[in-house]
Amino acid sequence: MARDEHSLLRENIPAYVLGALDAEDARALEAHLQTCDACRTELADYRAVSDNLLAALPPRQPAPALRKQLQSRLPSARPAQKTAQPRFVWSFGRLATGVALLLLFVTNLFSFVQMRELQRQQLNVLHQLQNNQTALAMLSYPGTEALPIDEGNISGTLLLDRERNSAALIAWNLPELPEGQVYQIWLIESNEDRVSGGLFRPQADLPYTTQPVFSSQDISDFVGIGVTVEPAGGSDQPTGPRVMRVNF
Amino acid sequence: MLYDRHVGRVYALTLRILSNPMLAEEATQDTFLKLWSRARLYLNERGSLLLWLLTIARRTALDRLRLEARRPMLSDSNDPEEAWDLIPDLSSLPEESRWRSLYFEVQSLQPDHRQVIELAYYQGMSQSEIAEVLGWPLGTVKTRLRAAMEHLREKWNAE
Repeated sequence: MARDEHSLLRENIPAYVLGALDAEDARALEAHLQTCDACRTELADYRAVSDNLLAALPPRQPAPALRKQLQSRLPSARPAQKTAQPRFVWSFGRLATGVALLLLFVTNLFSFVQMRELQRQQLNVLHQLQNNQTALAMLSYPGTEALPIDEGNISGTLLLDRERNSAALIAWNLPELPEGQVYQIWLIESNEDRVSGGLFRPQADLPYTTQPVFSSQDISDFVGIGVTVEPAGGSDQPTGPRVMRVNF
Repeated sequence: MLYDRHVGRVYALTLRILSNPMLAEEATQDTFLKLWSRARLYLNERGSLLLWLLTIARRTALDRLRLEARRPMLSDSNDPEEAWDLIPDLSSLPEESRWRSLYFEVQSLQPDHRQVIELAYYQGMSQSEIAEVLGWPLGTVKTRLRAAMEHLREKWNAE
């Protein structure tokens, strides 16, 4: 090839890497590149510049919603990958895809679990709030008796309103219970028979637990209350260790 | 993850090409979907995953640009939105620092040289189209494009 022609073609390399070469000139250069080592080397050099020009722009963040939109569209991309399974080649690209999909799945799962946990916590907080309001209302009522609880580390107050046939337990430092166990309140009759007064678990993240005591008969018929640890669902009669007893 | 790591650069590129946030977001989304569906085509020797992703992004955005049949205004180097912190960030990757320098070099090109580079690379125009749009002789476009690229290549290799 004549030197002049080589020089002319070589001059087109910068435009070629930018994709700005007209089609005919591009074809001529591509044919020349097949046989010219010097031009291939120069092409690689300019290619490095054009490739990195793409990354040189200052990053800009799109709207956060784009991420969710992309996640919602992603499942439709999965079947296309499945069709490629027979030609499976363990490549970095496939690995990157797998990792990306797995991360997306894990992120979604994590968000779902977090949402459920938040809902559960919200219900617990609401429940606790109602219990606290009950206890507070009882405290403010003139006829309410406040009976002290003192069982080692566990202390607190039993609020007893005989007139309105209601009671509420406020206990501090109740130990956490393993899964499958609950605290059960017992209303104690004068002959020491027990009637269930409700089940509860200690409030997570709070040092105290407020729990209404449920009684279907006149609470004045009882001489006190007790609390034991029972299997989840409660028992007909106390079977587990006693946690406290308060006499009326 | 991959999306969080690279979306800033993908979006910056599609926005530069399309000059419209909504279209740029669509092109960004299409780019990642293509990545996930074509990842098996990625060859390690092709270079970094980011540059491969950006190549897809450029092609996707340019296709969209042709579809929209619209030519955005040329960028203005004084546009405050394009401001780039030119102080080297020592905590960033070596590539980050080189990309900042490359961006600086593009912005420092003579305006008519930079214009040719931007129309070619970010608007997908051929040299003939650039000559027509700017009303310059084709030879002038070729000379300016070549001079600009030689300058950038020299600076890139000197880093």
